[in-house]
Amino acid sequence: MNKTLLVLKNEIITLVSRPSFWLSTLGIPLAGALIFAVVGWINRDAGTAAAVGELFRGPQEVRPEGYVDLGGIIEEMPETVPAGTFVAYPDEASARAALDSGEIAAFYIVPADHLRSGEITCIRPDFNPLASDSNQSGLFRWVLQVNLVDGDILLSNLVNGPLDVQDISLAPAGTAEGGMDNPLTMWTPYAVTLIFYFLIMGSASLLLSNISKEKENRIVEILLTSVNPHQLLAGKIIGLGIVGLLQTLLWVTIASALANRSGQIFQVASSLHLPASFIVWGLVFFVLGYAVYASLMAGLGALAPNLREASQVTFVIMLPLIIPLFFSNNVFAVEPNGPIATVLSLFPLSAPVAMMARLPAGGVPWWHPPLAAVLLALTAWLIVRMVAGMFRAQALLSGQPIQVKTYFRALFGKL
Amino acid sequence: MFAVEISHVTKAFGTVKAVDDASFSIEKGELFGLLGPNGAGKTTCIRCMLDIFKPDAGTVVILGGPMSEAKKDRIGYMPEERGLYQDIPLERCLAYLGSLKGLSQAEVKKRSEGYLERFDLAAHKAKKVKELSKGMQQKAQIIATLLHQPELLIVDEPFSGLDPVNTQMVKDLLREQREQGVTVVLCSHQMNLVEELCDRIVLIDRGKVMLYGTLDEIRRQFSGHAVLVKSGAPLPALPGVERVEPVNGSYKLHLHTGARPQEILKMLVAKGVPLERFEISLPDLDEIFIRIVQGEGRVA
Repeated sequence: MNKTLLVLKNEIITLVSRPSFWLSTLGIPLAGALIFAVVGWINRDAGTAAAVGELFRGPQEVRPEGYVDLGGIIEEMPETVPAGTFVAYPDEASARAALDSGEIAAFYIVPADHLRSGEITCIRPDFNPLASDSNQSGLFRWVLQVNLVDGDILLSNLVNGPLDVQDISLAPAGTAEGGMDNPLTMWTPYAVTLIFYFLIMGSASLLLSNISKEKENRIVEILLTSVNPHQLLAGKIIGLGIVGLLQTLLWVTIASALANRSGQIFQVASSLHLPASFIVWGLVFFVLGYAVYASLMAGLGALAPNLREASQVTFVIMLPLIIPLFFSNNVFAVEPNGPIATVLSLFPLSAPVAMMARLPAGGVPWWHPPLAAVLLALTAWLIVRMVAGMFRAQALLSGQPIQVKTYFRALFGKL
Repeated sequence: MFAVEISHVTKAFGTVKAVDDASFSIEKGELFGLLGPNGAGKTTCIRCMLDIFKPDAGTVVILGGPMSEAKKDRIGYMPEERGLYQDIPLERCLAYLGSLKGLSQAEVKKRSEGYLERFDLAAHKAKKVKELSKGMQQKAQIIATLLHQPELLIVDEPFSGLDPVNTQMVKDLLREQREQGVTVVLCSHQMNLVEELCDRIVLIDRGKVMLYGTLDEIRRQFSGHAVLVKSGAPLPALPGVERVEPVNGSYKLHLHTGARPQEILKMLVAKGVPLERFEISLPDLDEIFIRIVQGEGRVA
C-alpha cells in the first residue's frame, strides 16, 4: 500500500495546527493591511498628513523671502502664491539690510542678463544643506517662469513637462529596455526576485527543519519500519509544498487586493502592469523551483545529524537562487533581455527567481519562459531521483557530521 | 516453524564489522532474548532483520520470506532510542503511527483508548508528548508498538525508565503477547528479566554470536565450576575446592579448573559428612554474561 498520502496528510495537519503557522500566514498580510490602512487614512486628510509630518520634522516656519529683480522679469505674482511670500527690493544693499534685520529669511538676485545666463543667486544667512526644505527657491523659480510666459500658469506647467503620457510600446520582443527614470522599473525586478527567493527558500527550509527534527526526535527509525523512504520523501515534499503554495496564494490574493486599494493611496497600480500570465508563470516557477530546492534540502536533512550542522551547507545549496538577487537592479531592470539576464533565467537552478525578475520588465521572447520551465522540470525530476537515493535508512540513522563535500558526494551517489 | 531466520549475516561500517557472520533463528510464538554488551551489534542485527539495513552478506528470512512493505504492517518495533513526535498531542501521534501500520481511524481510536486506559494514560491523551514524563512516554511508545497487533514484536530495552509497577505491567503484557501467539524478541541488559521471561536467547559480542540456545542448555554449558552443598555439619577442607561461599543456609563450593563435582561428592561421603543436599550449581545469566564478555566465551 502506498503510504505517501498518509505522510502527506499528516504533514499538512501538523503544519497547519501550529500557532506559528497561522501567525505567519495571517500576521504578514494583516501587518501589510494595517500599514496600508494607516497610510490611506492619513493621506485622505492632507491636514492630518501635514500634522504627522510635523511630528517627525517639527513645525515648519515659512518666513518671507526677498528678491532683487535686476532683469525686470517679474511683473506680477501669480495668484496662487500667498501674499507676502516674496518681497521685492530695488537693490542688493536694501535686501541685505532686510536680511540682517531678520525681516526676510533669504533673498534672490535675478541678474540683468538672466535671460542669457539663466543664473539666479540665492543669499542665505547660514549654510545649512539640511534646511534646504525650508527655502522656497523652487517656488521662486516657478514665479520667474510664469512671468516669462506672460502669466499663463497652464502654459508654464506644460513647459515643465507633459501632464499625461500614453505609453504605447512598439518595441519588438527581446528589445525592451528598462527605463531607470521610472522607480517601478527599477524596483519591480528587485521586489519580485526577493519575494520568489523568500517563498522558495521558506518552503524548502520547512522540509529541512521537518526532517532534521524527525531525526533529532528519533522518530525516523519508527517511520522506516512502517513506510519506505521514498514514500516518506514524496509525502513530505508534496504535503509541505501544498501548504507553501496555499500560503503563497493567500498572500498573493491579499497583496493583490491591497495593490488595488493602493491605487487610491499611492497611485501605484496605474503604473504597474503585471499581466495575468505573470501569475500563471509565477505558479509554474514556484512549484518547479520548490520541487528542486525542497528535494535538495530534504537530502541535506537526511544526511545532517541536526539543523545546526545543516546550516553550513544550506548557503551553498541556495547560492544559485541568491545570485539573481545581486543582479536584480543593475541587470534585470536595465537590460532585462541582455545575455546575463537570459542565461540566469534559463539556467534551471537560478530560473525560478531570474525568470520571474525578467517577466515584469516585458519584451521577453515568448519561448523563453516555456523553455526555462521545461529545463527546470527536467532538473526537478533528476534531482528528486538523486535525492531519493540519498534518502536511505543508513543516511537517516547516521549521526555523522556533514560537510559540503560529503553532501555533493552523496547527491551524486558516490557515498 | 521460524518467525525469523538469520543466516551468516555480516554488516560492516567502514572497517568495523558490526555483525560478523551471525546465524540464529527465532521460533514462532516464543519469547526470545537478544543479549549483548553495549556496541555488541544487537541494534544492527535488528536493523538487518527489519531490512532497515541491507546486510553485506548472508540472508534474512522474516515471517516466511524476504521483508516486504506489506510485512511491515505485521511487525511491531520499539527501538532503544525512543522516538515520538514531541510537539503534537499523544492521541494524534498514536493515530498517525497506527495509520502507517494500516489501521483505519476507527480501529486506531478504539484500540488506543483501550491501551491508554490500561497504561493509565487516558487522562493525558490530549497533552503534547513533550509534556509527558519519561515513564509516560515510554508507555506511549509501547502502545504505539502494539496498536496494530503485530505478529512479530521486537522490543529493545522495554523496561528502561519504568518503575516496578509499570515494569510488572510490561512483563505481563509481553507474556500475554506470547500466549496470544505473538513472537516476541526482547533486547535487554536486565538479565534477571530475560531469565524470567525468555525461552531461548542469543548473546552477541563484537558482532559474533557467542551463545545461542535455551536458557537451561546454556546454563548447563557453563555449569561445573561450583556445587551447592547443604549439611548440618561443618564442611572439611577439600582438595579441588578454591573457596567456600555461604548461600542461604547452604554452601557454594567454587571448584578449581579441572576439579569434577563427582570427585567432591565422593570425598564428602568418604569423610562422613551428612549431606542434606548436593547439586551442581547452575550459573545465573548475569554470571554467564560477564564471563562471556570478559573473554571466557565460546562462539556458538
